[in-house]
Amino acid sequence: MTEKTPDIASRIADELASCGVKLVASLPDNWLMNVIKSVDQDDRFIHVPVNREESAIGLCSGAYMGAMGSAALMGASGFMTVIYAITKINYTYEIPLFLMLTLRGAAGDHHKHHISNGLYLRPVLDAINMPYLVIDNPDHISEISRSYRHTRTFSRPMAVLFTRDLLRGPHGGGGH
Amino acid sequence: MKYLDTFRTLAKHRRDEIVVTSAGNSGQAWWAATRDSEATFYLDASMSLSTMFSSGLALARPDLKIWAFMGDGAFCMNPGMLMVERQMNLPNLTHILVSNRVYGATSNADLPNYKDNDYAAIARSMGLERVFEFSDLQSLDHDLPDVVQGNAHGHTFVVLEVEPFSDAEQKLEQPPFDGPELKYRFGRHIEKRSGCEVFGYRL
Repeated sequence: MTEKTPDIASRIADELASCGVKLVASLPDNWLMNVIKSVDQDDRFIHVPVNREESAIGLCSGAYMGAMGSAALMGASGFMTVIYAITKINYTYEIPLFLMLTLRGAAGDHHKHHISNGLYLRPVLDAINMPYLVIDNPDHISEISRSYRHTRTFSRPMAVLFTRDLLRGPHGGGGH
Repeated sequence: MKYLDTFRTLAKHRRDEIVVTSAGNSGQAWWAATRDSEATFYLDASMSLSTMFSSGLALARPDLKIWAFMGDGAFCMNPGMLMVERQMNLPNLTHILVSNRVYGATSNADLPNYKDNDYAAIARSMGLERVFEFSDLQSLDHDLPDVVQGNAHGHTFVVLEVEPFSDAEQKLEQPPFDGPELKYRFGRHIEKRSGCEVFGYRL
């Protein structure tokens, strides 16, 4: 971890709060741990760690029908398991959903077990016509609230994809 | 218990609860028993997410009581949901597990380990305390009001042991809504009941 990453995490939390997110449902990814910790310790949010990524899709979709803002936070691998849930719930009923994912398998991720995400994450997003935005620079964190609001206009899901450089710094620690 | 008779008994005791159905049979039976087109979200074929959807709704709207139906076919796909439900422990949520020991929406195909699955024991092993089981209509009719009174002692889990859909029940009409129509019917009902704003504008 670099000194920079806790600041990034708190800025992401501030951005979520600014657009009315209350519920954050999460599954861990090592790159996301500072964001998860920041949300968990922040009274502006109700943080619900869930058993699998599909549960986050269900929780956030139900919260929308109760007028509560929400975000689902997960790694790229977890996202690859939720395609049916998203197409069934969020596309069939046109229920907005905001996702924050890791851009695993891209340049800078030195883990071979994420090669499949590098190859297929973005093609899968394209295949289901889900808009997404890569956030790789702290100056672009404000795009989170812009993307969140787009889900409400679009009445469907949108994802932001965080890079390793953003979450751990360009010369960040060598952890997973 | 006959499936449709069970749902007619549930409908008889329903007061102002919001209902979320699961895939296939529970949606058909609830539609047949109630013809509810506003206060029920017919969540078709979500493969185990009806109670997670309901948990999000119950969290957002503590003023409303929620009944969430789930078949045991869906339950088998994601029993870990009970860990999340126990952790949230929402007093306004009742998870009603409809156990017919088959994949009812797909020609009553067998569930894995269907003879031995003990859903109440699974729930208790995850720390749930308000766990109830019914296997005869008389007990259900008599005891259900006390079980689902809501806002009592936390999250409630009810197991209903029913027979698989009969050939006649298989022909029950599916709820006839397209997704967006259902979303708006249900959402406007939530707005009316709670005074909240689901869609960003009120009619």
